[in-house]
Amino acid sequence: MKKLIKLEINGENFDVAISPAAYLIDVIRETVGLSGTKKGCGVGDCGACTVLIDGRPTLSCITLAVACAGKAITTIEGLSRGSELHPVQRAFIDKGAVQCGFCTPGMVLSSKALLDENPHPSQDEIKTALAGNLCRCTGYAKIIEAVEHAGRLLSGEGCDEQA
Amino acid sequence: MHSEPIEYEKPASLREFESIYAAKAEDAKILSGGTDLHVLIKEKLLAPRLLIDISDLPELRGISYDPVRGVTIMAGTKIAEIERSPLVKEHAPALAFAAANLGSNQVRWMATMAGNICHASPAAETPPVLLAHDCELLIARQGGERTLPISRFFLSYRKTALETGEYVKAFRLPPLPARAAVSYRFKGLRKAMEIDMLNIGAYLELGEDGTSVNEVRLAMGSVGPVTYRAVVTEQKLKGMRIGEEFFAAACDGVVQEATPIDDVRASAQYRNRVIGVLTRRALEECLHRIGERRG
Ligand SMILES: Cc1cc2nc3c(=O)[nH]c(=O)nc-3n(C[C@H](O)[C@H](O)[C@H](O)COP(=O)(O)OP(=O)(O)OC[C@H]3O[C@@H](n4cnc5c(N)ncnc54)[C@H](O)[C@@H]3O)c2cc1C
Ligand code: FES
Ligand code: FES
Repeated sequence: MKKLIKLEINGENFDVAISPAAYLIDVIRETVGLSGTKKGCGVGDCGACTVLIDGRPTLSCITLAVACAGKAITTIEGLSRGSELHPVQRAFIDKGAVQCGFCTPGMVLSSKALLDENPHPSQDEIKTALAGNLCRCTGYAKIIEAVEHAGRLLSGEGCDEQA
Repeated sequence: MHSEPIEYEKPASLREFESIYAAKAEDAKILSGGTDLHVLIKEKLLAPRLLIDISDLPELRGISYDPVRGVTIMAGTKIAEIERSPLVKEHAPALAFAAANLGSNQVRWMATMAGNICHASPAAETPPVLLAHDCELLIARQGGERTLPISRFFLSYRKTALETGEYVKAFRLPPLPARAAVSYRFKGLRKAMEIDMLNIGAYLELGEDGTSVNEVRLAMGSVGPVTYRAVVTEQKLKGMRIGEEFFAAACDGVVQEATPIDDVRASAQYRNRVIGVLTRRALEECLHRIGERRG
């Protein structure tokens, strides 16, 4: 029943034996043991399970793990370099965009995908890019600020700005 | 837990896919983006024995344009690619707009237009625009292909004209005549991530004088079991002149031909009010686009 496949997660190869019916979220969390990716609704609505697959924001709760063999998967654990946070993570902290934190991994990855494509998004573009990531705590205002700030950090403009 | 599909296959080429599907179509479901399929499987509305993953077949990706055949969109092209395509923005801006309003960014990077039409939900985003464009579908199976106008594709709720072993291979949007345009209007309860409670695609083609109406197509979603065209109204509008009488006739006709129901998203009465308003806005937008195209 189980299939042996190779998954590339955050640049590292994992050989996993999984059911062809296993969803990527469960394989990432349970089989591989990376619990940064969160599981909310399980049916595509909340965005908590967002990971990047070949750079594109993808819902891991409605993606089969077998379908990801040969692709580059990035989870929230893959963003920082050692103890140095990625600028998007830094910006979320600096701007107070994290409360309970459940939505944060998905928010950060959706934001990274946006900024990779569009380094200086407008507020509307940020709202559009994050419309599939629900947050029940922050009211979104600080998240949007954080993404704008991250854009500046990534283009090297934010160094002297007050946090 | 959801019931498990027994098997998963990922053919490496279109030819391999066609032969697997020819042999196993009875028990199999084609898997594209999975944004409808996995939700149905998880909600136990569907338990396919085999999923055949076509999401990475290179032969099914891409968007091209040719002045005679128009825009061709291969079936596996992602909604996010359609949304961003300069060719689609230029030759079918209403489709780029509909694509941009389907689901969330994540859903758009996963989902395909083939999945959108094959799921055959009457509330889906792209069918009204495709009907307004009078899109031609390229339908294929092992050893053969046929074309079908999209107006003959949706048979009933979640039922399409695909026969066992057939799949959607490509969409062709014929080039628009000089004085013609398409537009798309929808109404949901929220701005994002909402299944439409009404949507409409409109096509307007004017005569050489710029005021007489040569041809109209009005496709309505969420007002019946499938997305369909108001064909009686379309006929009545032909030959009229652009003006208040034309808009009023279009709105009245659409309300006559719509058969909305009450459901969780809206009442039938409300839908009847709104569909008229959307029709007018869609036709006005067509007029505006025709003006822009003529500079
Ligand atoms: C959170 C969320 C929000 C959504 N919002 C919207 C929305 O706003 N508007 C909207 O219209 N939809 C919405 N959807 C539904 C869905 O995303 C779309 O219908 C999408 O276009 C389906 O495409 P897919 O490639 O994911 O299809 P899949 O799920 O892979 O397939 C759907 C069906 O089509 C069949 N199929 C797929 N490709 C082919 C082919 N080439 N030939 C023959 N059969 C095929 C499959 O076998 C299956 O029966 C949403 C879904 C989610 C999860
Ligand atoms: S857990 Fe995947 S979208 Fe909610
Ligand atoms: S911080 Fe709690 S859900 Fe967003």
